[in-house]
Amino acid sequence: MSRRLHIEIDHGRCVGNAMCVATEPDVFAHNENRQSEAVNPEAGSPGRILLAAESCPTAAITVEDADTGERLFPPGSGS
Amino acid sequence: MNENASIPDLDDLFDPAFIAEPYATFARLREASPVHWNEKFGLWVITGYDEVVWLLRHHELFSSAVTRASASPPYPPVDEGDRALFDEFKTFRSDQLVEQDRPAHLEQRSVVHPYFTPTAMEAWRPFVREAVHEILDEIQPRGRMDVLPDLAASLPVRVIAQMMDVPYEHRDRLRKMADAILYINRGESHRLRPLIEGVRGIVEYAAPFVEGRIEEPGDDIISVLAGGEREGVFTRHQVLVNVGLLLFAGHETTMNLICNGLLAFIRHGDQWDRLRADPAGMTRLATEECLRYDPPVKSTQRIASEHVEIGDQTIRAGDRIRWIMAAANRDPAVFDDPDRFDIGRQPNPHLSFGSGIHYCLGVALARMEGQEVFRALAERFEAFELEAERVEYQPSIQFRSLKSLPVTWQETL
Repeated sequence: MSRRLHIEIDHGRCVGNAMCVATEPDVFAHNENRQSEAVNPEAGSPGRILLAAESCPTAAITVEDADTGERLFPPGSGS
Repeated sequence: MNENASIPDLDDLFDPAFIAEPYATFARLREASPVHWNEKFGLWVITGYDEVVWLLRHHELFSSAVTRASASPPYPPVDEGDRALFDEFKTFRSDQLVEQDRPAHLEQRSVVHPYFTPTAMEAWRPFVREAVHEILDEIQPRGRMDVLPDLAASLPVRVIAQMMDVPYEHRDRLRKMADAILYINRGESHRLRPLIEGVRGIVEYAAPFVEGRIEEPGDDIISVLAGGEREGVFTRHQVLVNVGLLLFAGHETTMNLICNGLLAFIRHGDQWDRLRADPAGMTRLATEECLRYDPPVKSTQRIASEHVEIGDQTIRAGDRIRWIMAAANRDPAVFDDPDRFDIGRQPNPHLSFGSGIHYCLGVALARMEGQEVFRALAERFEAFELEAERVEYQPSIQFRSLKSLPVTWQETL
Protein backbone atom coordinates (compact mmCIF):
# COMPACT_ATOMS: atom_id res chain seq x y z
CA MET A 1 0.00 0.00 0.00
CA SER A 2 1.35 3.41 -0.85
CA ARG A 3 2.28 5.95 1.72
CA ARG A 4 -0.36 8.43 2.96
CA LEU A 5 0.89 11.99 2.78
CA HIS A 6 -0.03 15.10 4.73
CA ILE A 7 0.33 18.25 2.61
CA GLU A 8 0.46 21.81 4.00
CA ILE A 9 0.40 24.91 1.79
CA ASP A 10 1.51 28.19 3.31
CA HIS A 11 -0.82 30.80 1.80
CA GLY A 12 1.44 33.55 3.10
CA ARG A 13 3.98 32.28 0.57
CA CYS A 14 1.89 30.82 -2.27
CA VAL A 15 1.89 33.16 -5.27
CA GLY A 16 -0.29 31.06 -7.55
CA ASN A 17 2.56 30.05 -9.85
CA ALA A 18 0.57 26.86 -10.49
CA MET A 19 3.51 24.56 -11.17
CA CYS A 20 2.16 22.23 -8.46
CA VAL A 21 -1.21 22.11 -10.24
CA ALA A 22 0.55 21.37 -13.54
CA THR A 23 2.73 18.68 -11.94
CA GLU A 24 0.02 16.81 -9.98
CA PRO A 25 -3.43 18.00 -11.05
CA ASP A 26 -5.12 15.10 -9.24
CA VAL A 27 -4.10 16.65 -5.90
CA PHE A 28 -3.50 20.38 -6.29
CA ALA A 29 -6.05 22.95 -7.47
CA HIS A 30 -6.42 26.71 -7.23
CA ASN A 31 -8.96 28.32 -4.90
CA GLU A 32 -10.87 31.52 -5.65
CA ASN A 33 -7.77 33.60 -4.76
CA ARG A 34 -5.79 31.58 -7.29
CA GLN A 35 -3.72 30.05 -4.53
CA SER A 36 -3.02 26.35 -4.32
CA GLU A 37 -4.96 23.88 -2.17
CA ALA A 38 -4.30 20.17 -1.71
CA VAL A 39 -7.90 19.30 -2.53
CA ASN A 40 -7.43 15.56 -2.77
CA PRO A 41 -4.19 14.39 -1.11
CA GLU A 42 -5.20 10.73 -1.32
CA ALA A 43 -5.60 10.83 -5.11
CA GLY A 44 -2.11 11.45 -6.35
CA SER A 45 1.14 9.59 -6.64
CA PRO A 46 3.54 10.29 -3.75
CA GLY A 47 6.37 10.78 -6.26
CA ARG A 48 4.50 13.45 -8.19
CA ILE A 49 3.35 15.16 -4.98
CA LEU A 50 6.98 15.49 -3.89
CA LEU A 51 7.94 16.78 -7.35
CA ALA A 52 5.11 19.31 -7.11
CA ALA A 53 6.38 20.47 -3.70
CA GLU A 54 9.91 20.80 -5.03
CA SER A 55 8.69 22.76 -8.06
CA CYS A 56 7.21 25.51 -5.89
CA PRO A 57 9.25 28.68 -6.51
CA THR A 58 8.42 30.04 -3.05
CA ALA A 59 8.81 26.73 -1.15
CA ALA A 60 5.24 27.06 0.10
CA ILE A 61 4.49 23.32 0.18
CA THR A 62 5.38 21.00 3.05
CA VAL A 63 4.87 17.24 2.74
CA GLU A 64 4.90 14.80 5.65
CA ASP A 65 4.21 11.11 6.04
CA ALA A 66 0.69 11.16 7.48
CA ASP A 67 1.32 8.12 9.67
CA THR A 68 4.79 8.74 11.05
CA GLY A 69 4.95 12.55 10.83
CA GLU A 70 8.29 12.28 9.02
CA ARG A 71 9.09 15.41 7.04
CA LEU A 72 9.55 14.48 3.37
CA PHE A 73 9.77 17.98 1.85
CA PRO A 74 11.51 20.34 2.32
CA PRO A 75 14.38 18.13 3.42
CA GLY A 76 15.58 18.68 6.96
CA SER A 77 14.28 18.00 10.41
CA GLY A 78 10.64 17.11 10.90
CA SER A 79 8.18 19.34 12.67
CA MET B 1 -15.89 64.43 -13.62
CA ASN B 2 -14.87 61.61 -15.89
CA GLU B 3 -13.17 59.06 -13.69
CA ASN B 4 -10.86 58.20 -16.54
CA ALA B 5 -9.66 61.79 -16.74
CA SER B 6 -5.94 62.09 -16.91
CA ILE B 7 -3.89 63.55 -14.10
CA PRO B 8 -1.38 65.41 -16.26
CA ASP B 9 1.41 65.95 -13.75
CA LEU B 10 1.24 62.28 -12.71
CA ASP B 11 1.27 60.93 -16.25
CA ASP B 12 4.71 61.80 -17.51
CA LEU B 13 6.48 58.55 -16.69
CA PHE B 14 9.79 59.85 -18.11
CA ASP B 15 9.77 63.16 -16.20
CA PRO B 16 13.31 63.49 -14.73
CA ALA B 17 11.94 64.30 -11.27
CA PHE B 18 9.76 61.21 -11.41
CA ILE B 19 12.64 59.01 -12.59
CA ALA B 20 14.75 60.33 -9.70
CA GLU B 21 12.13 59.88 -6.97
CA PRO B 22 9.02 57.97 -8.08
CA TYR B 23 7.52 56.94 -4.75
CA ALA B 24 5.64 60.12 -3.82
CA THR B 25 4.04 60.13 -7.28
CA PHE B 26 3.14 56.46 -7.01
CA ALA B 27 1.45 57.15 -3.66
CA ARG B 28 -0.56 60.04 -5.14
CA LEU B 29 -1.59 57.89 -8.09
CA ARG B 30 -2.64 55.04 -5.83
CA GLU B 31 -4.66 57.39 -3.62
CA ALA B 32 -6.30 59.06 -6.63
CA SER B 33 -7.11 55.80 -8.39
CA PRO B 34 -5.30 52.47 -8.04
CA VAL B 35 -6.47 51.72 -11.60
CA HIS B 36 -5.69 54.87 -13.56
CA TRP B 37 -5.93 55.72 -17.27
CA ASN B 38 -2.73 57.45 -18.36
CA GLU B 39 -3.69 59.73 -21.25
CA LYS B 40 -0.16 60.59 -22.28
CA PHE B 41 0.90 56.99 -22.89
CA GLY B 42 -2.56 55.58 -23.63
CA LEU B 43 -2.37 52.83 -21.05
CA TRP B 44 -3.70 51.78 -17.66
CA VAL B 45 -1.44 52.27 -14.67
CA ILE B 46 -2.15 49.91 -11.77
CA THR B 47 -0.67 50.91 -8.41
CA GLY B 48 -2.84 49.17 -5.75
CA TYR B 49 -1.54 45.95 -4.19
CA ASP B 50 -4.79 43.97 -4.36
CA GLU B 51 -5.46 45.12 -7.91
CA VAL B 52 -1.97 44.08 -9.08
CA VAL B 53 -2.25 40.64 -7.45
CA TRP B 54 -5.72 40.09 -8.94
CA LEU B 55 -4.51 41.07 -12.38
CA LEU B 56 -1.41 38.86 -12.26
CA ARG B 57 -3.38 35.84 -11.10
CA HIS B 58 -5.89 36.18 -13.97
CA HIS B 59 -3.56 35.44 -16.85
CA GLU B 60 -6.51 34.35 -19.00
CA LEU B 61 -7.79 37.96 -18.88
CA PHE B 62 -4.45 39.73 -19.23
CA SER B 63 -2.06 38.56 -21.92
CA SER B 64 1.72 38.71 -21.62
CA ALA B 65 2.14 38.69 -25.41
CA VAL B 66 2.47 42.46 -25.33
CA THR B 67 5.02 42.89 -28.09
CA ARG B 68 3.16 40.74 -30.62
CA ALA B 69 -0.15 42.47 -29.88
CA SER B 70 1.09 46.03 -29.91
CA ALA B 71 0.90 48.00 -33.16
CA SER B 72 2.08 51.20 -31.48
CA PRO B 73 5.18 52.96 -32.73
CA PRO B 74 8.09 53.09 -30.29
CA TYR B 75 7.51 55.56 -27.47
CA PRO B 76 9.32 57.77 -26.62
CA PRO B 77 10.09 58.22 -30.35
CA VAL B 78 13.27 56.78 -31.82
CA ASP B 79 15.62 58.33 -34.38
CA GLU B 80 14.37 58.55 -38.00
CA GLY B 81 15.55 55.51 -39.90
CA ASP B 82 15.58 53.20 -36.87
CA ARG B 83 12.06 51.84 -37.42
CA ALA B 84 13.35 48.69 -39.15
CA LEU B 85 15.40 48.00 -36.04
CA PHE B 86 12.22 48.28 -34.00
CA ASP B 87 10.62 45.51 -36.06
CA GLU B 88 13.72 43.36 -35.65
CA PHE B 89 13.62 43.93 -31.92
CA LYS B 90 9.92 42.96 -31.80
CA THR B 91 10.70 39.65 -33.51
CA PHE B 92 13.34 38.96 -30.89
CA ARG B 93 11.25 40.00 -27.93
CA SER B 94 8.03 38.25 -28.88
CA ASP B 95 9.82 34.87 -28.81
CA GLN B 96 10.88 35.29 -25.16
CA LEU B 97 9.33 33.01 -22.55
CA VAL B 98 8.03 36.04 -20.63
CA GLU B 99 5.91 37.07 -23.65
CA GLN B 100 4.05 33.73 -24.00
CA ASP B 101 0.53 32.90 -22.87
CA ARG B 102 -0.85 29.49 -22.05
CA PRO B 103 -0.73 26.82 -23.30
CA ALA B 104 2.70 27.54 -24.86
CA HIS B 105 3.91 29.29 -21.70
CA LEU B 106 3.31 26.26 -19.47
CA GLU B 107 4.98 23.93 -21.95
CA GLN B 108 8.03 26.18 -22.25
CA ARG B 109 8.30 27.07 -18.59
CA SER B 110 8.11 23.39 -17.67
CA VAL B 111 11.35 22.86 -19.63
CA VAL B 112 13.38 25.45 -17.69
CA HIS B 113 11.52 25.56 -14.35
CA PRO B 114 13.21 22.49 -12.74
CA TYR B 115 16.63 24.09 -13.22
CA PHE B 116 15.65 27.10 -11.07
CA THR B 117 13.75 25.59 -8.11
CA PRO B 118 14.82 26.72 -4.62
CA THR B 119 16.29 23.26 -3.95
CA ALA B 120 18.26 23.22 -7.21
CA MET B 121 19.54 26.77 -6.71
CA GLU B 122 20.66 26.06 -3.14
CA ALA B 123 23.37 23.83 -4.64
CA TRP B 124 24.82 26.99 -6.23
CA ARG B 125 25.18 28.87 -2.93
CA PRO B 126 28.84 27.87 -2.31
CA PHE B 127 29.76 29.03 -5.83
CA VAL B 128 27.93 32.35 -5.39
CA ARG B 129 29.48 32.93 -1.94
CA GLU B 130 32.96 32.26 -3.24
CA ALA B 131 32.41 34.51 -6.26
CA VAL B 132 31.28 37.37 -3.99
CA HIS B 133 34.36 37.04 -1.78
CA GLU B 134 36.70 36.78 -4.78
CA ILE B 135 35.28 40.00 -6.19
CA LEU B 136 35.53 41.75 -2.81
CA ASP B 137 39.10 40.48 -2.24
CA GLU B 138 40.11 42.26 -5.41
CA ILE B 139 38.21 45.47 -4.66
CA GLN B 140 38.78 45.89 -0.94
CA PRO B 141 42.42 47.09 -1.00
CA ARG B 142 41.43 49.96 -3.35
CA GLY B 143 39.43 51.76 -0.66
CA ARG B 144 36.69 52.79 -3.10
CA MET B 145 34.49 51.27 -5.77
CA ASP B 146 31.71 52.01 -8.14
CA VAL B 147 29.35 49.34 -6.83
CA LEU B 148 27.56 49.01 -10.16
CA PRO B 149 30.34 47.81 -12.50
CA ASP B 150 32.76 46.55 -9.85
CA LEU B 151 30.43 44.33 -7.82
CA ALA B 152 26.79 44.43 -8.90
CA ALA B 153 27.36 43.72 -12.62
CA SER B 154 30.37 41.50 -12.10
CA LEU B 155 28.64 38.89 -9.93
CA PRO B 156 25.61 37.93 -12.06
CA VAL B 157 27.72 37.59 -15.23
CA ARG B 158 30.10 35.21 -13.41
CA VAL B 159 27.17 33.15 -12.19
CA ILE B 160 25.24 33.00 -15.47
CA ALA B 161 28.43 32.20 -17.44
CA GLN B 162 28.99 29.23 -15.11
CA MET B 163 25.35 28.14 -15.44
CA MET B 164 25.64 28.34 -19.24
CA ASP B 165 28.96 26.53 -19.05
CA VAL B 166 30.70 28.93 -21.40
CA PRO B 167 34.43 29.71 -21.10
CA TYR B 168 35.44 31.88 -18.15
CA GLU B 169 37.30 34.28 -20.45
CA HIS B 170 34.07 35.10 -22.33
CA ARG B 171 32.75 37.03 -19.34
CA ASP B 172 33.69 40.45 -20.69
CA ARG B 173 31.95 39.71 -23.97
CA LEU B 174 28.82 38.49 -22.18
CA ARG B 175 28.89 41.56 -20.00
CA LYS B 176 29.04 43.90 -23.04
CA MET B 177 26.05 42.16 -24.64
CA ALA B 178 24.10 42.23 -21.40
CA ASP B 179 24.91 45.93 -20.97
CA ALA B 180 23.66 46.69 -24.50
CA ILE B 181 20.36 44.96 -23.81
CA LEU B 182 19.87 47.31 -20.84
CA TYR B 183 18.43 49.79 -23.35
CA ILE B 184 15.09 47.92 -23.24
CA ASN B 185 12.28 50.30 -22.22
CA ARG B 186 14.59 53.27 -21.92
CA GLY B 187 13.81 56.75 -23.19
CA GLU B 188 16.83 57.69 -25.33
CA SER B 189 16.01 58.22 -29.02
CA HIS B 190 19.12 56.28 -30.15
CA ARG B 191 18.35 53.31 -27.87
CA LEU B 192 17.48 50.82 -30.63
CA ARG B 193 20.98 50.76 -32.08
CA PRO B 194 22.87 49.50 -28.99
CA LEU B 195 19.89 47.29 -28.16
CA ILE B 196 19.93 45.54 -31.55
CA GLU B 197 23.69 45.21 -31.38
CA GLY B 198 23.28 43.37 -28.08
CA VAL B 199 20.44 41.21 -29.38
CA ARG B 200 22.33 40.21 -32.54
CA GLY B 201 25.46 39.67 -30.49
CA ILE B 202 23.86 37.21 -28.11
CA VAL B 203 22.11 35.26 -30.88
CA GLU B 204 25.38 34.99 -32.81
CA TYR B 205 27.33 34.12 -29.66
CA ALA B 206 24.90 31.46 -28.46
CA ALA B 207 24.32 29.73 -31.82
CA PRO B 208 27.39 27.42 -31.81
CA PHE B 209 26.86 26.50 -28.14
CA VAL B 210 23.24 25.57 -28.81
CA GLU B 211 24.25 23.55 -31.88
CA GLY B 212 26.83 21.66 -29.87
CA ARG B 213 24.53 20.89 -26.97
CA ILE B 214 21.73 19.61 -29.15
CA GLU B 215 24.24 16.88 -30.04
CA GLU B 216 25.97 16.52 -26.70
CA PRO B 217 23.92 17.86 -23.81
CA GLY B 218 25.48 18.66 -20.46
CA ASP B 219 23.83 19.73 -17.20
CA ASP B 220 24.01 23.45 -18.03
CA ILE B 221 21.10 25.81 -18.79
CA ILE B 222 21.87 26.06 -22.54
CA SER B 223 21.55 22.26 -22.68
CA VAL B 224 18.22 22.51 -20.88
CA LEU B 225 16.91 24.93 -23.53
CA ALA B 226 18.40 22.81 -26.34
CA GLY B 227 16.61 19.81 -24.82
CA GLY B 228 13.37 21.78 -25.20
CA GLU B 229 14.14 22.11 -28.91
CA ARG B 230 14.76 18.37 -29.21
CA GLU B 231 11.38 17.74 -27.60
CA GLY B 232 9.71 20.12 -30.05
CA VAL B 233 8.79 22.69 -27.39
CA PHE B 234 11.12 25.45 -28.65
CA THR B 235 12.16 26.51 -32.13
CA ARG B 236 15.85 27.26 -32.57
CA HIS B 237 15.08 30.98 -32.62
CA GLN B 238 13.20 30.64 -29.33
CA VAL B 239 16.16 28.81 -27.78
CA LEU B 240 18.58 31.57 -28.86
CA VAL B 241 16.25 34.34 -27.74
CA ASN B 242 15.79 32.70 -24.34
CA VAL B 243 19.54 32.30 -23.84
CA GLY B 244 19.58 36.07 -24.33
CA LEU B 245 16.69 36.50 -21.90
CA LEU B 246 18.47 34.50 -19.19
CA LEU B 247 21.67 36.48 -19.67
CA PHE B 248 19.84 39.79 -19.52
CA ALA B 249 17.22 38.99 -16.89
CA GLY B 250 19.82 37.74 -14.45
CA HIS B 251 22.07 40.72 -15.10
CA GLU B 252 20.03 43.90 -14.84
CA THR B 253 17.76 42.78 -12.02
CA THR B 254 20.55 41.53 -9.76
CA MET B 255 22.57 44.66 -10.46
CA ASN B 256 19.65 46.81 -9.36
CA LEU B 257 18.98 44.69 -6.27
CA ILE B 258 22.57 45.10 -5.09
CA CYS B 259 22.86 48.81 -5.91
CA ASN B 260 19.43 49.89 -4.67
CA GLY B 261 19.81 47.76 -1.55
CA LEU B 262 23.24 49.11 -0.67
CA LEU B 263 22.04 52.68 -1.28
CA ALA B 264 19.14 52.06 1.14
CA PHE B 265 21.64 50.83 3.75
CA ILE B 266 23.85 53.90 3.22
CA ARG B 267 20.82 56.13 3.80
CA HIS B 268 19.60 54.14 6.81
CA GLY B 269 22.65 53.61 9.01
CA ASP B 270 20.56 52.11 11.82
CA GLN B 271 19.45 49.28 9.51
CA TRP B 272 23.03 48.72 8.34
CA ASP B 273 24.12 48.39 11.98
CA ARG B 274 21.29 45.93 12.54
CA LEU B 275 22.51 43.78 9.64
CA ARG B 276 26.12 44.03 10.81
CA ALA B 277 25.16 42.79 14.26
CA ASP B 278 24.06 39.45 12.73
CA PRO B 279 24.88 39.23 9.00
CA ALA B 280 24.21 35.48 8.64
CA GLY B 281 20.97 35.66 10.63
CA MET B 282 19.53 38.87 9.16
CA THR B 283 20.52 38.69 5.52
CA ARG B 284 17.42 36.77 4.33
CA LEU B 285 14.89 39.22 5.76
CA ALA B 286 17.10 42.18 4.84
CA THR B 287 17.24 41.08 1.21
CA GLU B 288 13.43 40.83 1.11
CA GLU B 289 13.14 44.38 2.47
CA CYS B 290 15.64 45.67 -0.12
CA LEU B 291 13.49 43.98 -2.78
CA ARG B 292 10.32 45.62 -1.42
CA TYR B 293 11.62 49.08 -0.59
CA ASP B 294 13.33 49.97 -3.88
CA PRO B 295 12.76 47.06 -6.26
CA PRO B 296 14.97 46.22 -9.26
CA VAL B 297 11.96 46.33 -11.59
CA LYS B 298 9.44 49.14 -11.15
CA SER B 299 6.79 47.92 -13.54
CA THR B 300 5.88 45.46 -16.28
CA GLN B 301 3.16 45.26 -18.93
CA ARG B 302 0.11 43.23 -19.83
CA ILE B 303 -2.55 43.62 -22.51
CA ALA B 304 -6.23 42.97 -21.80
CA SER B 305 -7.65 39.92 -23.61
CA GLU B 306 -11.25 40.95 -22.98
CA HIS B 307 -13.35 43.63 -21.27
CA VAL B 308 -12.63 43.49 -17.54
CA GLU B 309 -14.10 45.37 -14.58
CA ILE B 310 -11.41 46.14 -12.04
CA GLY B 311 -11.93 48.52 -9.14
CA ASP B 312 -14.46 50.99 -10.51
CA GLN B 313 -12.94 50.99 -13.99
CA THR B 314 -13.61 49.07 -17.18
CA ILE B 315 -10.53 47.92 -19.04
CA ARG B 316 -11.30 47.14 -22.69
CA ALA B 317 -9.98 44.27 -24.76
CA GLY B 318 -6.70 45.33 -26.34
CA ASP B 319 -5.94 48.03 -23.73
CA ARG B 320 -2.35 48.14 -22.56
CA ILE B 321 -1.67 47.93 -18.83
CA ARG B 322 1.39 48.81 -16.83
CA TRP B 323 1.36 47.29 -13.35
CA ILE B 324 3.70 48.92 -10.90
CA MET B 325 5.15 46.63 -8.27
CA ALA B 326 7.20 49.50 -6.86
CA ALA B 327 3.91 51.23 -6.01
CA ALA B 328 2.08 48.11 -4.78
CA ASN B 329 5.03 47.35 -2.48
CA ARG B 330 4.26 50.55 -0.59
CA ASP B 331 0.51 50.13 -0.35
CA PRO B 332 -0.37 51.00 3.27
CA ALA B 333 -3.29 48.57 3.15
CA VAL B 334 -0.71 45.75 3.19
CA PHE B 335 2.51 47.19 4.65
CA ASP B 336 2.67 49.11 7.95
CA ASP B 337 4.58 52.35 7.62
CA PRO B 338 5.40 51.43 4.00
CA ASP B 339 7.94 54.19 3.37
CA ARG B 340 10.10 52.96 6.23
CA PHE B 341 13.10 50.75 5.37
CA ASP B 342 12.88 48.05 8.06
CA ILE B 343 15.04 44.97 7.50
CA GLY B 344 13.17 43.00 10.15
CA ARG B 345 9.85 43.39 8.33
CA GLN B 346 7.87 40.16 8.49
CA PRO B 347 5.73 39.08 6.76
CA ASN B 348 6.91 40.89 3.66
CA PRO B 349 4.71 39.77 0.76
CA HIS B 350 6.23 42.22 -1.75
CA LEU B 351 5.48 41.87 -5.45
CA SER B 352 9.00 42.44 -6.75
CA PHE B 353 9.02 38.99 -8.39
CA GLY B 354 5.43 39.36 -9.59
CA SER B 355 2.75 36.77 -8.90
CA GLY B 356 0.84 34.09 -10.78
CA ILE B 357 2.05 31.90 -13.63
CA HIS B 358 4.76 34.36 -14.73
CA TYR B 359 6.25 34.69 -11.23
CA CYS B 360 9.99 35.26 -11.68
CA LEU B 361 11.74 32.10 -12.89
CA GLY B 362 15.06 33.19 -11.38
CA VAL B 363 13.65 34.12 -7.96
CA ALA B 364 15.72 31.65 -5.93
CA LEU B 365 18.93 32.70 -7.68
CA ALA B 366 18.19 36.43 -7.29
CA ARG B 367 17.44 35.99 -3.59
CA MET B 368 20.62 33.99 -3.07
CA GLU B 369 22.80 36.54 -4.87
CA GLY B 370 21.29 39.35 -2.79
CA GLN B 371 21.65 37.40 0.46
CA GLU B 372 25.28 36.50 -0.18
CA VAL B 373 26.24 40.03 -1.23
CA PHE B 374 24.60 41.82 1.70
CA ARG B 375 25.95 39.26 4.14
CA ALA B 376 29.52 39.52 2.81
CA LEU B 377 29.42 43.33 2.75
CA ALA B 378 28.16 43.43 6.35
CA GLU B 379 30.85 40.98 7.47
CA ARG B 380 33.68 42.82 5.75
CA PHE B 381 32.88 46.54 5.89
CA GLU B 382 32.06 48.76 8.83
CA ALA B 383 30.35 51.56 6.94
CA PHE B 384 29.98 52.85 3.39
CA GLU B 385 29.88 56.46 2.37
CA LEU B 386 28.46 57.77 -0.85
CA GLU B 387 31.19 59.45 -2.87
CA ALA B 388 28.79 61.62 -4.87
CA GLU B 389 26.46 64.44 -3.90
CA ARG B 390 23.51 62.72 -5.52
CA VAL B 391 22.79 59.60 -7.52
CA GLU B 392 21.17 59.42 -10.96
CA TYR B 393 18.89 56.81 -12.47
CA GLN B 394 18.54 55.51 -16.03
CA PRO B 395 15.49 56.97 -17.81
CA SER B 396 13.44 53.76 -17.74
CA ILE B 397 9.80 53.07 -16.95
CA GLN B 398 10.52 49.44 -16.31
CA PHE B 399 13.77 49.31 -14.35
CA ARG B 400 14.98 51.13 -11.26
CA SER B 401 18.59 51.34 -12.40
CA LEU B 402 21.26 53.60 -10.97
CA LYS B 403 23.79 55.00 -13.43
CA SER B 404 26.56 54.50 -10.89
CA LEU B 405 27.08 54.13 -7.16
CA PRO B 406 30.53 55.33 -6.12
CA VAL B 407 31.36 54.57 -2.48
CA THR B 408 34.24 54.63 -0.01
CA TRP B 409 34.38 52.71 3.27
CA GLN B 410 35.86 51.89 6.60
CA GLU B 411 36.98 48.33 6.90
CA THR B 412 35.95 46.01 9.68
CA LEU B 413 39.07 45.30 11.70
